[in-house]
Amino acid sequence: MAEETKNRAQSFDPMEPLRGVRDAYMDVWAKSMVDMVNSEAYAQATGTMLDTYLTVSAPFREAVEKAMLKTLEQLAMPSRADITSLAERMTHIELRLDDLDAKLDEFQKNASKAPPPSAAPRTVSTAKKAAGPKQAKRGRK
Amino acid sequence: MTEISAVLDPYTQAANRLKTLSKVMTTKAAIAQTPKQLVWTLNKAKLYRYTPVVPKEKRHPIPLLLVFALMNRPYILDLRPGHSFVEFMVQQGYDLYLLDWGAPGPEDKNLKFDDYTLDYMPRAIRKLKAIAGSQEFSLLGWCIGAILTTIYAALRGNDGLRNLILLTAPLDFSNKQGLTFAKWTEERYFDVDKVLSAFGNMPGEMIDYGAKALKPVENYVGNYLKLWDNLDDPRVVEAWHAMNTWVTDNVPLAGGAFRQLIVDLYRNDKLMRGELVIRNARVEVSNIRANLLTVIAEGDHITPACQSEPIMAKVSSKDKELLRVAGGHIGIMAGSGAAKLTWPHINHWLAARSDAQ
Repeated sequence: MAEETKNRAQSFDPMEPLRGVRDAYMDVWAKSMVDMVNSEAYAQATGTMLDTYLTVSAPFREAVEKAMLKTLEQLAMPSRADITSLAERMTHIELRLDDLDAKLDEFQKNASKAPPPSAAPRTVSTAKKAAGPKQAKRGRK
Repeated sequence: MTEISAVLDPYTQAANRLKTLSKVMTTKAAIAQTPKQLVWTLNKAKLYRYTPVVPKEKRHPIPLLLVFALMNRPYILDLRPGHSFVEFMVQQGYDLYLLDWGAPGPEDKNLKFDDYTLDYMPRAIRKLKAIAGSQEFSLLGWCIGAILTTIYAALRGNDGLRNLILLTAPLDFSNKQGLTFAKWTEERYFDVDKVLSAFGNMPGEMIDYGAKALKPVENYVGNYLKLWDNLDDPRVVEAWHAMNTWVTDNVPLAGGAFRQLIVDLYRNDKLMRGELVIRNARVEVSNIRANLLTVIAEGDHITPACQSEPIMAKVSSKDKELLRVAGGHIGIMAGSGAAKLTWPHINHWLAARSDAQ
């Protein structure tokens, strides 16, 4: 009896009978909405809404920006433009550092490619210099 | 007593479901867990190298660089353990790198495709080559990342690029009727300069709205109903939580790049017409000679197949392949079927072209 009640309780889902209907409705709704957002009318409506918002909010935005700029000046604090310019300069410095890093990598690569000094082929002039006075004397004999 | 508990069970279940729902809706899932090191940075961009798990002698000698879109976080490629393209590729023996563009600030509002493709990418690639000790490399670009990699491949064809993989690449904008974004951003409806003068960069929320509004019922209603229907299934809940964490984590798109995307590409289709100019150089996709794999999502409503297919006929690559995968724009790489279809195919294609010549 208890098991039966439990099973009945567990299997009870008020949404279950409606789920199929819901999903079918959702499909139809989804298709009609996709058609709607694909229409010229929707593009025009969203464009108009965005344009209106930008036009209406522009004076407020400008007023807030001016007020903020004056406040920051009064408080002797940097403005957004100051920080932006500083960030741009830092990026330029990073670029220069990256150039240096590239040159260093190149230098290291060339250094590792070069044979060790002992195995380096000697040219005549350097061989003579390296041989020193002893060899020179022997040559004279 | 037992009967009372049996009657109360549904209420306990309902309470648990609400608890799960609350957790999923108010917290962020643990994502991007594959171990990696930061190896290069420039401004907000970061280059990561994933810690190899395969011994060096068994690894592919040609490193692979992943380039994702500018206005989403790249960790969709490394969503969660066991469901991560990055984890999969590292296990397959690739020396794997990820270029994370980061979130542009107000100081980056003038960044354009020119900067991304000719300042950031070449420098990141130089570093990658130095670390990997290879003069050649492979590139994988996804969505806007595929636009950047295509431009790079066309302009820097002799830079050692051996393999190019383009995923759901929006490159051809000639079919205006098939592109909802193209309709919304027509000059008569959308004033790009007015938007950018107000915001500087294109806000992530507006981009998110645009992407979701393409399929409003699925994104604003169906998605949550799917969660509600499966609240008792931990696997579905975990996957939904991770995806929702990614979907709600948007970044702005740099103003200069957004203007190019709308004016040069969506409105004037300059890339495919050979009219796109990047720092005084015309971008000719016919300059691309690297081995090319283009992956198209058959159910993609953001980048329909007509945007990705035409490049196949325009490149000069002798080795090229077009792969069609069932699924959506994101689903083909992060959906439940990705590990069985897309990832193995990419691995199979790339492995055959990633050994020393």
